[in-house]
Amino acid sequence: MNPKAASKKRKAVTRDVEEEAGVFSGDELSKGNLDGALSDNSKDLSDSEDDESDSEVELVDDFSDSEDGEEELDSDEIPSDTEEVKPTAGDPNFRIVKDANGNDRYLWDEIHPDDNSELSEVDENANTIGDIPLKFYDEYPHIGYDINGKKIMRPAKGEALDALLDSIEIPKGWTGLTDPKTGKPLNLSQEELELLRKVQMNEVPSEGYDPYEPLVEWFSSEKEIMPLSAAPEPKRRFVPSKHEQKRVMKLVKAIREGRILPYKAPEEREDKEEELINYDLWADEAERPDHVMHIPAPKLPPPGYEESYHPPPEYLPDSKERKAWEQTDPEDREKDFLPNDFGSLRKVPGYDNFVQEKFERCLDLYLAPRVRRSKLNIDPESLLPKLPSPEELKPFPTACATVFRGHKGRVRSVNVDPTGIWLATGGDDGTVRVWELLTGRQLWSAKLSDDEAVNTVRWRPGKDAVVLAATAGDDIFLAVPPIVDPEIEKASLDLLDAGWGFAASRPAPSASEDGKKNAPPTWIRPEAALVDAGVCVVIPLRYVPKTISWHRRGDYFVTVCSGASTPASVAISIHTVSKHLTQFPFRRRLKGGGPPQTAHFHPSKPILFVANQRSIRAYDLSRQLLVKILQPGARWISSFDIHPTSSSASGGDNIIVGSYDRRLLWHDLDLSQRPYKTLRYHRKAIRAVKFHPSGRYPLFADASDDGSLQIFHGSVTGDMLSNATIVPLKVLKGHKITGELGVLDIDWHPREAWAVSAGADGTCRLWM
Amino acid sequence: MSEDLVTAGAAEAVQRQVRVQLISQEEDIALPESTGPILVPTGLRRYALSTLVNNLLSSEKPIPFEFLINGTFLRTSIDEYLVDNGISSETTLEIEYVRALIPPLHIASFQHDDWVSATDVLSTTSPAASWASGATFTKGQERILSGSYDGLLRIWNMSSETIATSPAAADGGHTASIRAAKFVSPNQIASAGLDRTVRLWKYTEGEGGFTGKISPQLELYGHKAGIESLAVHAKSNRLLTGSADNNVGFWSTKKADAPAAPENLLPSSNARNTKRRKLNTSVSTPQRGPLALLSAHTAPVSAAIFDAKDATVGYSASWDHSLRTWDLVTGSLVDTRTTSHSLLSLEHLPELSLLAAGTAARHITLIDPRASATTVAAMTLRGHTNAVVSLARDPHSTYGLISGSHDGTCRIWDIRSTKTDKEGVVGESVYSITRKSLEEEGKSDSKRVGGEGVKVFSVCWDKTVGIVSAGEDKRIQINRGEGVLSSKA
Repeated sequence: MNPKAASKKRKAVTRDVEEEAGVFSGDELSKGNLDGALSDNSKDLSDSEDDESDSEVELVDDFSDSEDGEEELDSDEIPSDTEEVKPTAGDPNFRIVKDANGNDRYLWDEIHPDDNSELSEVDENANTIGDIPLKFYDEYPHIGYDINGKKIMRPAKGEALDALLDSIEIPKGWTGLTDPKTGKPLNLSQEELELLRKVQMNEVPSEGYDPYEPLVEWFSSEKEIMPLSAAPEPKRRFVPSKHEQKRVMKLVKAIREGRILPYKAPEEREDKEEELINYDLWADEAERPDHVMHIPAPKLPPPGYEESYHPPPEYLPDSKERKAWEQTDPEDREKDFLPNDFGSLRKVPGYDNFVQEKFERCLDLYLAPRVRRSKLNIDPESLLPKLPSPEELKPFPTACATVFRGHKGRVRSVNVDPTGIWLATGGDDGTVRVWELLTGRQLWSAKLSDDEAVNTVRWRPGKDAVVLAATAGDDIFLAVPPIVDPEIEKASLDLLDAGWGFAASRPAPSASEDGKKNAPPTWIRPEAALVDAGVCVVIPLRYVPKTISWHRRGDYFVTVCSGASTPASVAISIHTVSKHLTQFPFRRRLKGGGPPQTAHFHPSKPILFVANQRSIRAYDLSRQLLVKILQPGARWISSFDIHPTSSSASGGDNIIVGSYDRRLLWHDLDLSQRPYKTLRYHRKAIRAVKFHPSGRYPLFADASDDGSLQIFHGSVTGDMLSNATIVPLKVLKGHKITGELGVLDIDWHPREAWAVSAGADGTCRLWM
Repeated sequence: MSEDLVTAGAAEAVQRQVRVQLISQEEDIALPESTGPILVPTGLRRYALSTLVNNLLSSEKPIPFEFLINGTFLRTSIDEYLVDNGISSETTLEIEYVRALIPPLHIASFQHDDWVSATDVLSTTSPAASWASGATFTKGQERILSGSYDGLLRIWNMSSETIATSPAAADGGHTASIRAAKFVSPNQIASAGLDRTVRLWKYTEGEGGFTGKISPQLELYGHKAGIESLAVHAKSNRLLTGSADNNVGFWSTKKADAPAAPENLLPSSNARNTKRRKLNTSVSTPQRGPLALLSAHTAPVSAAIFDAKDATVGYSASWDHSLRTWDLVTGSLVDTRTTSHSLLSLEHLPELSLLAAGTAARHITLIDPRASATTVAAMTLRGHTNAVVSLARDPHSTYGLISGSHDGTCRIWDIRSTKTDKEGVVGESVYSITRKSLEEEGKSDSKRVGGEGVKVFSVCWDKTVGIVSAGEDKRIQINRGEGVLSSKA
């Protein structure tokens, strides 16, 4: 309360002093009046009143209480400086407060009438001649005098050239342009120039307008005889306004209570100006049920170290990672950026994907489907069929154990003998060779033909005799290699020789038959050199047989001449060893699919399977009927094989078919005439397919021109309800591709899980 | 006692120590009786222990040792062994030490004209010499026998000179490749091959041992297919053969004991013409038949051997996956053990009552043939990359074994060097001997597919001569662990 009262008291005093600003008195100063603070001689004041320090403090307090609002004086105490700085700083000399209605109100700083500091500054070099026209000094070298009475010399004039240029007369209104209408130089008239001048000078261009018309002084300081108002001067023009004082006091009070912040730091104000209001669209979003028209904001994980402009070195990719990242497709990249170290934030360049991302965002919005699709969340692993691991299906061939080298040129055919000790091969060099299976030692070789390749070699099934059938050129050779013991050799020779009698007892072919082109051939004895080598019988077919397939009992074999020029009636021939008899069971070409390719006897039933290029037909030999037609869907069948345990007892027949169009097809004859499984694992044509001949191992293999063999597990159950399980087991690589050909033939060991392959590179390989 | 404790306490600060008792079965390297348990740091490994033993023995030339704890080789530090086996370091560890096998070095190669399929050694320590009753065999006159695919037997001395060659087919020799050959005694040789005969030869050596003569003595007929293996027991004059006709042949080496040869198998009975078979008429050799043909196998018999202790027991291994035990007195089948792979070779380890069988599946199975054995395969030795076709015992150790394989290597195995994995106890080879011929070609590091050109067909390990192996590279290769043998001599 007390200070307030005191301040009020002083205020009254202040006002008085202000009133009498011009008449300072020493007494008043010594009393500590605040106006001294505003004046330039406040220093004198403090100097002169050193001893009265207490009162000085008071003085300062008093001043701060005053309504002037010159707060900075409090802290500064060098008032004159501050006053001068203020206008130069360019700060507005007002502040904005809110009035009672909430509108802005400008509070202007007070103007001090005695603040003439600007005038007090005297320019030393100013001309002091006063209000005299300069032309008075025209004939003098100086133009006046400075404050010290020295002559101020006339400033230097332009050069002579300037004077010359000035002296050249340019006609009034000359533009240097050509009038496009008349073709004459375009000169402006006096009126036009005047108009231009007015426009340039921002004057009203119309003629006759005088902006400086003489003012009619309706109200003037002169006392008229008949004044407009005769009212006396009101008192308020002479006394200080109480209303204003009230308002000032209100402000003072507000400042004291802190309601009005008298001064704000300029930088704060800047911040305020720059502040942008960002609206978080999803800030107070509540969970909403799914709806087509509502797409919740994506929840992004907070950025990690990687996203930093200056990540720790362990997050930076090395050159290999960077290369790998650059080489992968943008879709396949794990993250769509690479961590990059810029060192400091100011070095971070502009975001180069900005336009791209904006575009994609727009594209997303444009293409966004308004239908919510439920995403299929299926583990890809679960879509794979449940197959047993190859480890569990051992044994199967995994590595090359022996390489059989010796053939010159391709090895076309390979066959393991029924006892599993020997391997017979035939190749382009026209030789048939027999090898020791395990060691790769060549035991026997016979050159069947000088210029024709040996197309097929096949051992006669059964262990009672050892007979090797081979085809070279147009001939079929039956040989007993001299590697067996005398007993079996004798049995084998007897078997082959028994037919000579039958042949002799047969009526000789009549002349008409003899003349016919397609008469069955007669079996003949080979030439002496071949007899010495072990060949016993030659069957001269007139066309090139490409495949041999023995009947399981070893008395018949079927050969197929698959050449396109072979007449259909002689393409397939069945040979009876015991009677030395060759028959052509098919008179006409098989329908659809070109010439026959290969033929096999059923392992247990009297059925002959014949394949042409696109289908396989099963003929019942005893009833002479077509039993079944299989349509593997391959374009050109190369080979097929019948599952060894196929019979009516064990769940029907299964056949694998290999084709030149890279397919391996598994047929279950009970299911359909279409393949049960199609396996496409080779890059090139499949040349041969083979089931493991013993029932012990459910294996089959194929050989392809891509130089590899593939081993499969294919188990057939006796159960009619379950289908065969086919598991790819192993790709065996080793044969070199020679002249576009890889592996030409394949065979299995009769008991073991060992496979033998014949390669176009001139080698055979044993895999186990 | 207290002193020990003190040392132990002091050692605790530095390193853990364990008390070990070092023992050896071999007398010449055994520590004196007085040597009690020694306190050693547990951080020691084989090399440090070997140095320690050498210091204790104060041997002039350090002998490398291997250390066995509870029958397995120490391959880590003692500390790790203790931790792995959960043994307290306070117990006294009994460590047996044996001479380490020194890497076998190549000694010599004997060049042949054709693949060499069989090899045997005649030396003071070879079985043939030990069986020799009358004949004296002098040391330093070691002979090496080789049987080749060209049908010839050759006798070599150690300086790679051929002393004798068997007669050619025209003079009563083999008409086809030889697959097996063995010394019966210093002057008798047995051989068998793809011509289905077993032939006994008389071997006589000239003065000075630089010339010799192999002359046919007896031809044994009976097999109907090539003979794959031959085993000899000279004391009882018996031979055992395994043939591809699925039979095991049991023969006598004495002309008088043997029955007459079966007529139908004699070459003269051959109905076919003949030029080829008339060759052996120039020499007439007595022809005899088998004492017994033991048939039970369903596939070619790859190996037949006598029991190393009891010559009345024979074992045969076959491609039909089975190993059969025969009573040779009655000629009856005693036992059949069926494995899961074709068996291609067989060797008896008598001290361990185990049979080692090499398989076509690139490993060696150890089979306990005794009826009491519960499992078929006691252990598997893995490491070969092709069929294992030949096995021989280590003459130095009852645990040692060498195998020859079609992958072109011989591997030395110690069946104590094992580890247990998911397939049971699995052994790893100690050393692998590659073919010198590969090195000479400068392709020692290149791996041949299927051991092409360097297949090993036969291996023989003699104490004096070393490891003799024969193979597809047409040579016999002799390797020897130098250090071991020199220290013995």
